[in-house]
Amino acid sequence: MAPSRTSTVKSKHAANKSGIRNSKTTSKAKSSSDPVSKPKKKEQQSKGVQKLKKGEGRKKRRVYTEKELDIPQLNMITPVGVEKPKGKKKGKVFVDDRESMMTILAMVNADKEGQIESKMMKARQMEEIREARKAEAEKRVEIRKSKLDETKEGLRKKRKRSTGADGGEESIKSEAAAGTKPLKKRKSVSFA
Amino acid sequence: MRPLTEPETQTLFAKLANYTGTSLKNLIAPLDNGPNADRFVFRLHQSRCYYVRLSLANLAVSVSRDKLLSLGTCLGKFTKSGKFRLHITALPILAEHARYKVWVKANGEMPFLYGGHVVKAHIGRWSEDCPEHQGVVVYSMNDTPLGFGVTARSTQEARRLDPTGITCFRQADCGEYLRDEDTLFATS
Repeated sequence: MAPSRTSTVKSKHAANKSGIRNSKTTSKAKSSSDPVSKPKKKEQQSKGVQKLKKGEGRKKRRVYTEKELDIPQLNMITPVGVEKPKGKKKGKVFVDDRESMMTILAMVNADKEGQIESKMMKARQMEEIREARKAEAEKRVEIRKSKLDETKEGLRKKRKRSTGADGGEESIKSEAAAGTKPLKKRKSVSFA
Repeated sequence: MRPLTEPETQTLFAKLANYTGTSLKNLIAPLDNGPNADRFVFRLHQSRCYYVRLSLANLAVSVSRDKLLSLGTCLGKFTKSGKFRLHITALPILAEHARYKVWVKANGEMPFLYGGHVVKAHIGRWSEDCPEHQGVVVYSMNDTPLGFGVTARSTQEARRLDPTGITCFRQADCGEYLRDEDTLFATS
């Protein structure tokens, strides 16, 4: 009942303060509503009290708390760690018997075996790749070396040929020169 | 003091299995064939994990927690993030079941015991077919365990390494008994 009362008080104030005072409609409303509304309120109050009294007379209804109702809570974020399962024992679960320890050990061992095996496989593959790359590099070096040798040989042959040809020409020249002009010795520098 | 939980047991075994082979299961095997035979168990006390005989662990229950300093063999400690760190005190157990081994020459013993990594020039022998980043136990040439570490290169790669190249990263060595004397057994 209390909130309705406060609301009426508020509305009274609002009615007094708000609106245009001199307007006809407000004055009319005031004059008409005030005498009618008061008895109405009283009636309502009395009815409410009666109802309450009747309720007391009846059997008291059981009031359920929120926890008892077990209603899923809406719009709430419950982290995984915070939510505790119902009807479960608190605390840690220890592993102290041999069988469970053995099973854990077997699992861990198998896992490690696999890891080591995969590591070895990987290492072997890498080794193979490295070997292949090394062989290829060696091959390339050899090819380059043989090419170099070939060119060297070619150059050597060329030089030999050219030296032979030069000698013939010179003799011809010298002969020709001897025939026409007195030979002038040319100055030359030779490297060993 | 309490037994380990399942995830703790798993992390511990995973760490031990880095260094040991399949013979690790002998670690928790009963000592004899009797129905109530004594066996070794793992116990956690102030974040340290101990490998201890069950009968001894049961006796140790009568000592109050704050007064109990140590029992059995300390294997290492659990970090706050749940990982496990092996201590040098676990060396006898690792050495017994070691899978991959590295033997260090006499001239390499001291550098290793002073906390240095194992360089190739100091290696006398090594286990064949050892992959990279694999836990190994370091021995002296007369088979005395000196410590343990992790391989830096696989055996095949290490062959090509120059003499000053690191072959094995040190993780723990016997020199820690002196160097870390204050913190190795202190519980606070």
